[in-house]
Amino acid sequence: MNEVDIEIGTEIPSWTMEFVDPQRMKTMAAILRDPYEVHWDHEAIRPLGFDRVINQGPLNLSYATNMLMAWQGPASVRRLNVRFTQPVFEGDHLVSRGTVTAIDEVDGEQRATCDIHLDRRLGDTDEVVMVGTAVVALGGDNPSTSQ
Amino acid sequence: MLAGPRLASAACNVIALRPMSDPSTGLAMTEDDLHTLVGRRFPGGTRTIAHWENWLLTDCTGFDQLPGGLVHPIALFHVPIQGAGTSIAELFEISGAQGAGSVGLDGYDWEYLAPMREGVEYRVEGSVTEVERTVSADTGRIADRFVYSIELTDPEGVLTARITNHWRIRR
Repeated sequence: MNEVDIEIGTEIPSWTMEFVDPQRMKTMAAILRDPYEVHWDHEAIRPLGFDRVINQGPLNLSYATNMLMAWQGPASVRRLNVRFTQPVFEGDHLVSRGTVTAIDEVDGEQRATCDIHLDRRLGDTDEVVMVGTAVVALGGDNPSTSQ
Repeated sequence: MLAGPRLASAACNVIALRPMSDPSTGLAMTEDDLHTLVGRRFPGGTRTIAHWENWLLTDCTGFDQLPGGLVHPIALFHVPIQGAGTSIAELFEISGAQGAGSVGLDGYDWEYLAPMREGVEYRVEGSVTEVERTVSADTGRIADRFVYSIELTDPEGVLTARITNHWRIRR
């Protein structure tokens, strides 16, 4: 999709994380130097009433970021403003979605402001776990995507 | 759905359910102490993102590796914190959090003013920018908003990114 196809109301192609992998959380905890066991130690969280470890907030945001980069290229993201509404757990199936709400020219480039959200699949329904807005530069390269 | 207490850390968004704080005995930080935090600067420093770090970070997100040494945008969580000379654990200490279970994540506002790349030494500076004590009208529970902002500039002094993170500290 190039910039001439994009208008207010355009839906961004969704991006799916089919399985939130606890092994990735362990690596992420090390990178972040986040000492809290909720992200990697099942024994530590069971007494607290959990049976699955909790995904890091930055990883939740990354799935929406991946959607934006898959759409408009790896250097397209200009702003992310999000809030988290529900925890995400290992094994969750997540889908990032977004819709263009405005298009402006800033510093010589076309930028789309988008409503974005991350949904957890629960059978045939979705539960929103993160909502926010993003600003994306239009017309960048479009790399392949993966999980 | 889940039962039992709920826990939070700075890097997740779980809402804590703790016993209600007793304002007369249970607060680790007075409201006056809280307001003295505004303007408190982090030590500051420099931070270079190595290829291996960016590779692992990007891999954790499930995305293809980015071309041309571009850093995955999600690096704006840990790179500013670490580059500013602080840590998640120290931010908890500064904010007076009494354990991970007392911290909730309200949200992020991250601005990308130029692409970030591996191998570039960024200057990182930041401070606590806002605090606010709130009392729930329903439960009487006290919670403090704790907001910090950090900027990254490239070796030429060009502002590359700015982050503002909003936490909520339950007392």
